[in-house]
Amino acid sequence: MFHFNAPVPTPGSAQDPPLASLPRLARGQLHEVHASADDWASALFFALVAVEAQAPRPLLLLRVRKDKARAGSVVMPPCGEGWLNLGLDPARLVIVDAKDDAGMLRAGLDAAREGGLGAVLMESWGNLREYDLVSSRRLILAAERSGIPVVLLRGDADPCASAAHTRWTVASAPSVPLDGHAPGHPALRVELTRRRGGPAGQCWRLEWSEEHGVFRPAPLEELVVSEAERPAPPSGAVAVLPAVRERAPLRRTA
Amino acid sequence: MRLAAVNGQAAALGLCAGMTLADARARCPDLATARHDPLRVTRELERLAGAMIAFTPLVALDPPDGLVLDITGCAHLFGGERALVDAVRTLAGYTVRTALADNAAAARALARFGADVRDVRALPVAALELDADGQAGLRRAGLATLGDLAARPMAGLAARFGEVAVSRLRAILGEAGSPITPLRPAEPIRLETRFPEPLARTDDALDVIEELLAQASQRMEERQLGGRRFLVVLYRSDNVRRRLAVDTGQPVREPAAVMRLLRERIDTLSDPLDPGFGFDAIALAVLRVEHLPSRQIMLEGHREGQADTLAALVDRLGVRLGQERVQRLAFCDRHLPERAQALVPAATERVPPWPAPDDRPPRPLLLLDPPQPVDVIAGVPDSPPQRFRWRGRLHEVRLAEGPERIGAEWWRRRGGHVPGHAGETRDYYRIEDALGRRYWIFRHGLFTEKPDPRWYLHGLFA
Repeated sequence: MFHFNAPVPTPGSAQDPPLASLPRLARGQLHEVHASADDWASALFFALVAVEAQAPRPLLLLRVRKDKARAGSVVMPPCGEGWLNLGLDPARLVIVDAKDDAGMLRAGLDAAREGGLGAVLMESWGNLREYDLVSSRRLILAAERSGIPVVLLRGDADPCASAAHTRWTVASAPSVPLDGHAPGHPALRVELTRRRGGPAGQCWRLEWSEEHGVFRPAPLEELVVSEAERPAPPSGAVAVLPAVRERAPLRRTA
Repeated sequence: MRLAAVNGQAAALGLCAGMTLADARARCPDLATARHDPLRVTRELERLAGAMIAFTPLVALDPPDGLVLDITGCAHLFGGERALVDAVRTLAGYTVRTALADNAAAARALARFGADVRDVRALPVAALELDADGQAGLRRAGLATLGDLAARPMAGLAARFGEVAVSRLRAILGEAGSPITPLRPAEPIRLETRFPEPLARTDDALDVIEELLAQASQRMEERQLGGRRFLVVLYRSDNVRRRLAVDTGQPVREPAAVMRLLRERIDTLSDPLDPGFGFDAIALAVLRVEHLPSRQIMLEGHREGQADTLAALVDRLGVRLGQERVQRLAFCDRHLPERAQALVPAATERVPPWPAPDDRPPRPLLLLDPPQPVDVIAGVPDSPPQRFRWRGRLHEVRLAEGPERIGAEWWRRRGGHVPGHAGETRDYYRIEDALGRRYWIFRHGLFTEKPDPRWYLHGLFA
């Protein structure tokens, strides 16, 4: 259904890559995306862009929200305006909060069985006891029948045995700075750690091209930020970094 | 353009319905006008008619702007006719003219043409509502009131002004009947099956419910309705009633869709559906209905079906998890980032399209709720952080952009317009740490506003 023709883009071919070489989360399959909590936005962004969802159909985002939240627990709701910035339509999003992991997997299974959705994304944290070979196989059968992609995002989790087609590890990568040492466009480091029926281990460094609304592969070497580029550690609390854009603060007090 | 209706104040100034707008403006330059919307007037009249059911079961519309209430045998319930009229006036809420008479035609004529007359015979001939020629003819004949007309032979009247004039006159005088066609409240959809022997198996009971749903679906189809709320009551032989209610986001008719929701509801019951010694009877009621036209099967259309399956899925998950757990992200026109959006239940609320992004600095992909307090080393007063500690880990800031200054919503605070009481201004920075993670961080308060403002992480960028 889909092929990885050029697993590791060489720096020379990074200018004009064939699209097939970019990582995709194919339809009718189950994919796992691993990430740490700090890289959660990158993992979600990768899943949203790489997933082969049919355009106007809604995306289902399944989360777990316990009835009694622990004190100090953080919720990470999607920010609609941020989605618009990246060309994603927040109106397509349907968010389902399950009460526990089992309920989330069951709701995901029901959603995968129904046609009419663009993609099913499931967020899970830590050890997912209910997720094993059997339940992943169920998800795959449902996804194959309806032909929609199912993505399981796993935060701060060790990989466990499953029948998933692909398993990815996503982390944020240093971006190419814009003018005035501003953080640049989203950059990710994506590794294909497992793939059923094919070689794995490929690694990409993807940069978001705002102009075209697609990922572009960038050479992996830039991942290592040389010590010289790094700003020197500040010596005191009042040191002023040159890392501020030289322009007046955007005053938005209405 | 002409005035369609005027209120009491305008009438006191000498304006009346039918006057041209230019004339009205000449008399009253600061006249406030609104466009006449006959459809909404009709709807409002229908709503009022529905409300009048409180006084009598027989309410009829008298278009374009009247209602006829048959209060035969109802007045004593409200403490007499006068009290009833007062109650009707209060409920109507508008400036209304009321009249009581022995028959509907007389009441209508008195209300519309009898400003201060009680006797129908004293009504002006205009109450017959003839055309302009007929009215002019009556006036020229020197006939001013209905009493004058009634004293004359009807045959001559009919020959001169037509059969309509005579029939209207006889109706107003009560010599001929003036029946009304009252609005009939729609018959509720309610079905029941009683069994000769108690039904001991839950599966059989579900089959019966499906059969009832099929009948209800047929009735709804005839009336072009779809149900939004279904209630099943199971009467057990030991006089225990079990109620199962399901709500749907879209009006539905298909028995299969409702059955799926009911099964889902039965699964979530804390104590299972126990038939005990059996069910004596099962009743189904469609408590809320909405208009649902019959759908034409399209040759090429699959999109309709997709919207349906999504609505069905939303309903099912809503029944299982609770409707407030199936949500959509809606835009809110608010100033603070965390208030600029809201999660609304997907089943009940429509989400309008999001506005196109403007050219303000980018927002993160995910927000942190609540914002996470972090320990920060940063320059004073307006510098981005140089390093910060979050969850016990130290992050070196490599790149930074900002500040984007977002003021507090002082217009929503009591006394917020007073300087110094507006609330704390936030300075947002977009920063990237040495590992390439991008954060949205803000300082809560300027140094001029408070001595030691705290820093918070408020979002994660991709």
